Amino acid sequence: MMEEPYRWVEAVQARREYIEMQLAGGSPIAAVSCTDGVLFVTVSREQRKLFEVYDRIAMGAIGHPGDIERLRMSAIEVASAEGFNRSVQDVSLRRLAAYSLSPLLKKAFEEIYGPPFLARMLFVELGRNGAPDLLLQLDYDGAFRGNAGGGAVPGEPFAVLSGKTHSARQMEEYLRAKPLAGLTAQEVLPTAVEAWAVGHLALNAEPGAALPDAESVAAHREEQLQGGTLEAVLLDRNAPAHAAFRPLSLKGALKSGNPLVTPKKDSYSGSK
Amino acid sequence: MNTSPFGSRDEAAASALPDFADVLRRYGGAPPQAPVTAVPAGAAGLPLDAGFSTRATTILAFKFRDGVLVAGDRRATAGNLVVYDRADKVLEIDRYSLMAIAGVPATAWEMARMLEHSFQFYRRSQLQEMSMEGKVRALSRLLRENLGFAMQGVGVVVPLFAAYDEAAALPRLYFYDVMGAQFEVTDFAASGSGSPSVRAVLQYANAYGPHPLGKMDEEEAVLLALRALDTAAQNDTATGGVDRHGRIYPVVKLVSSRGIDTLPETILAKAYQRDLQSLPKNTLILTETAAG
Repeated sequence: MMEEPYRWVEAVQARREYIEMQLAGGSPIAAVSCTDGVLFVTVSREQRKLFEVYDRIAMGAIGHPGDIERLRMSAIEVASAEGFNRSVQDVSLRRLAAYSLSPLLKKAFEEIYGPPFLARMLFVELGRNGAPDLLLQLDYDGAFRGNAGGGAVPGEPFAVLSGKTHSARQMEEYLRAKPLAGLTAQEVLPTAVEAWAVGHLALNAEPGAALPDAESVAAHREEQLQGGTLEAVLLDRNAPAHAAFRPLSLKGALKSGNPLVTPKKDSYSGSK
Repeated sequence: MNTSPFGSRDEAAASALPDFADVLRRYGGAPPQAPVTAVPAGAAGLPLDAGFSTRATTILAFKFRDGVLVAGDRRATAGNLVVYDRADKVLEIDRYSLMAIAGVPATAWEMARMLEHSFQFYRRSQLQEMSMEGKVRALSRLLRENLGFAMQGVGVVVPLFAAYDEAAALPRLYFYDVMGAQFEVTDFAASGSGSPSVRAVLQYANAYGPHPLGKMDEEEAVLLALRALDTAAQNDTATGGVDRHGRIYPVVKLVSSRGIDTLPETILAKAYQRDLQSLPKNTLILTETAAG
């Protein structure tokens, strides 16, 4: 098959369609920079979708749980080995994505005799010393775009992930229209959850449809929260070195006046 | 070798229950290991006495009312030479556990780093905190892996490990021997060259003091720790005392349900000052210390 380039291109195209189809149902994820860190929000049904990668890095993913797990482990291993062999300061999301994960994904995607990764990921890295946060989308074919420049949305304080392209576009459109600068996690949370609802509604709508109105977004949000779990993580700018990743307890947090609470004894949030 | 796109069976096993040491072996940077053979005394090659390698000396730990107090002097020596007077021998591993070291810092600091990274790696990869037992065993394993160096006389480390056990809601204290056996302690432990003095002081305070160590409040406990280290510094050249000009005080950390608290210099300076004022000023030791 390698002697026939056309068939290879065809095979890659078929595989792209197959993966897009597999990812199409994935529950969206929204990440928004705020004054106290980066807020990561999704609604999950069974598996957790938001994970700690390293001191200042977290990820969310949609796709096959097994593939997400392999990529998550790979990211943690590379970051941890680098952090041990050099220093914590030398671990960066840009290097992790560009030199480690992207080539791995591209290789698996284009080697058409082997299985590709059925996963689409959103990485977040807290900016050091007041530098802007890096929000980076990494796709199953190794393509990535970040908000730090070079990507489609440089400088924007948010990033989204969804099973379908038009759903992601609608979430971005929705967030772009909102004033996000200078808000706390508490203030950003309702907007982030609405962005999720916009994306989730769009999964079942036709591409090109207009943004749904506020009422249908709110209704959809309420309906989905009945059956799923609102999963939210704050990558905390003000936390001590190793404890930036803080899963939030959201009981009542969506109602105004109820503060965001981080669970005291979370099994995976401890340590320094 | 194995051309399966799914990876070899070893790979599958490694990814199911990864260990940070395995990760380092795969990515490079695993700590070196020496064969477990002793170098006979007088043999050509490495000298067996302590003269050429840096050593960190006295550390102590005991349980008091609120948790465990861990303290260490600041001196590192090589034979008769004082190498460093600001060494930190009480190393935080995570929010609830720390390790105090006596022995070769090159090995000990690397062990502490290794522990810190493995606990974090475990938490991140397994999505749960490592158990108390697991953490205690992890240090034990590092010591056993270091046995080759220890037997050649170049990497002996004898650590203490103190932690707050969240599951049992209890403070815990362990000491280790060179081969990695761990011993849980009920009252106190000390290690390093000044440890005979420290042990005597703590034993005396525990048995004959106004109340046992376990009943002491924070202030009493800190005072006792400083006095024990002071006594060790008087009796052992390798234990550093207090340097008021350089503002070098021992490191004192408290492990409790709140996590780890490091006592700031100002508190230690005040404790020393109060201690001096509360005692008669005509003893040789105290006038010397006061003059310093």
